[in-house]
Amino acid sequence: MARHVIVGGGTAGWNAITTLRELDKGDSEIILVADETPYSRMVLPYYLARDIAESHVYIASPPKLAALNVDARLGARAERIDASANKLILEGGDEVEYDNLLIATGSSPVKAPVPGADGKNVHSFWTFPQARAVASGVGDGARVAMIGAGFIAFTILNALVNQGVKLTVVELESRILPRMIDDTGAGLVQSWLNERGVEVRTSTQVTSIEDKGESKLLKFKEGPDLEVDLVIMATGIKPNIDWVTDSGLETNQGILVDEHCRTNVANIYAAGDIAEGPDAVTGDRVVHAIEPTAMQHGRVAAANMAGQEVAYKGSLLMNIVDVLDMEIASFGAWDDADAEVFEAVRAERPAYRKLLFHGGRLTGAIILGKTREIWTTNDVGMLKGLVYTGVDISEWKEHLRKNPFDVKRAFLASGAAGGLLPETVLGRPSASSNELTIAS
Amino acid sequence: MKILKIIPEKCTGCMRCELACSYEQTGTFQPSKAVIRVSAFEGHTSYAPYTCPQCDEAWCLTACPVEAIGISPAGAKDVADDICVGCKLCTIACPYGTMFYDIDTHKAFKCDLCGGNPACASVCPTDAIVYEEADKTDWVGPFAAERAKSPAGPLAGVL
Repeated sequence: MARHVIVGGGTAGWNAITTLRELDKGDSEIILVADETPYSRMVLPYYLARDIAESHVYIASPPKLAALNVDARLGARAERIDASANKLILEGGDEVEYDNLLIATGSSPVKAPVPGADGKNVHSFWTFPQARAVASGVGDGARVAMIGAGFIAFTILNALVNQGVKLTVVELESRILPRMIDDTGAGLVQSWLNERGVEVRTSTQVTSIEDKGESKLLKFKEGPDLEVDLVIMATGIKPNIDWVTDSGLETNQGILVDEHCRTNVANIYAAGDIAEGPDAVTGDRVVHAIEPTAMQHGRVAAANMAGQEVAYKGSLLMNIVDVLDMEIASFGAWDDADAEVFEAVRAERPAYRKLLFHGGRLTGAIILGKTREIWTTNDVGMLKGLVYTGVDISEWKEHLRKNPFDVKRAFLASGAAGGLLPETVLGRPSASSNELTIAS
Repeated sequence: MKILKIIPEKCTGCMRCELACSYEQTGTFQPSKAVIRVSAFEGHTSYAPYTCPQCDEAWCLTACPVEAIGISPAGAKDVADDICVGCKLCTIACPYGTMFYDIDTHKAFKCDLCGGNPACASVCPTDAIVYEEADKTDWVGPFAAERAKSPAGPLAGVL
């Protein structure tokens, strides 16, 4: 019986487990090595908002792992790989032999190198313990500084502001959400935030974080000091690849994988934030540290580990975030200087749409507007469908140039749906993991 | 399985399906909360209803980080409201544009085939929407492509 060893119990690891069981019905040995009890990072903002209980955060719980006949080594940490002997070596010296190894050890937050960044009441928001620490420190009237204005910061902005937090967002770059939207979009979001009492300081570098009584005092390269009760550092993440560097695996930013999520070693796979795999639009290999990519990588890797030759077309960069009832989403290559760009701004709504073309193919898109207006349309998913399929919509270009807000008929007439319907990532209909159990 | 088969040539644009759908799904007669949507072509002389094709890939189901989306006895991908946290990942995962978000409940919602008795098909007066055994296919695409080729351009008379 084949032995699959999976390192990391996040989205990629869990999807690999459920896919293996869906395909092999229990006819393999699965060992999960994870230093934490698995949980879903994606829902931590809703925990912070006090919308959901702690129990809601655990997806791959020990009983569910047991029901899938997974040998879960929780609390164990992988130390290194001996690829020539097909062995994973754990901290403490235990060895685990494998037929197939999946590396899904994710990424970690990087704190900006600022004096005081490791002090008390300065937190990252990435792990469940960090989310608990932030949750216990915020409430009505709390003054909070968010250093870094990227996607992760914005996923918790609503939870903070809706609890009465007095929030200041500090960003080193010249705009907020620098890797999710362009200058025009960022400008609209910044105005929206200012009108709702959130202070935003862009092009601002923090030089130190000091204690001032029970408060924290932030000093900047330019501009006035800022006194707050709590600091959240959301200054980026990096793949957790340090432990594999001597294993013979090819790495760049992450571990390089092909369209099967396979590394340069035939029986070692990588998935999720740690994997640098093909991009659906450009074909280049990139790290997409986003939930949908982790899910898809986990499924594709597992299918190949189960002996099926499943290749996938690559992951699509995409994000969506709600900022105080303004919806912001972007897809694909939205920041491409070589693309033909159609855009329209209705600052008074506010609403913004940007469509990026190469020939007749939509290669990237930004959609921004009031939440209530965005969800009266189907546009979010239709933009995804057009970018993901790359279907030819040459006939619609003139219309979309004049009105980038009207994509629905172009989508319907494009035949994108007809092209997508026969397509499945694993070559079979997806199943719900809720119904999966394995007789042990 | 039984699916919603759409014959756009028979659609009169009466919007009964949208009203019935929104009422069944959210308790209000409000097309903006319908998960079947009727689009106009050729200067509002042709119409085509469009809804979730219940695709085999189940992009929404696989994307959900809390496993709130399952497959109902009717074969529909269905959101469990008590599990959905409203993160909207399903809305960007679905490439069909048939995953919606309810701004009042803060939950995702979609066509669940009304538990096996779809309201849109029940109320359609011309059998443009029928619920029967059929292939999952793009019922609207060829019709929309043809109607968009009118001499004056894709949207002549519509906008």
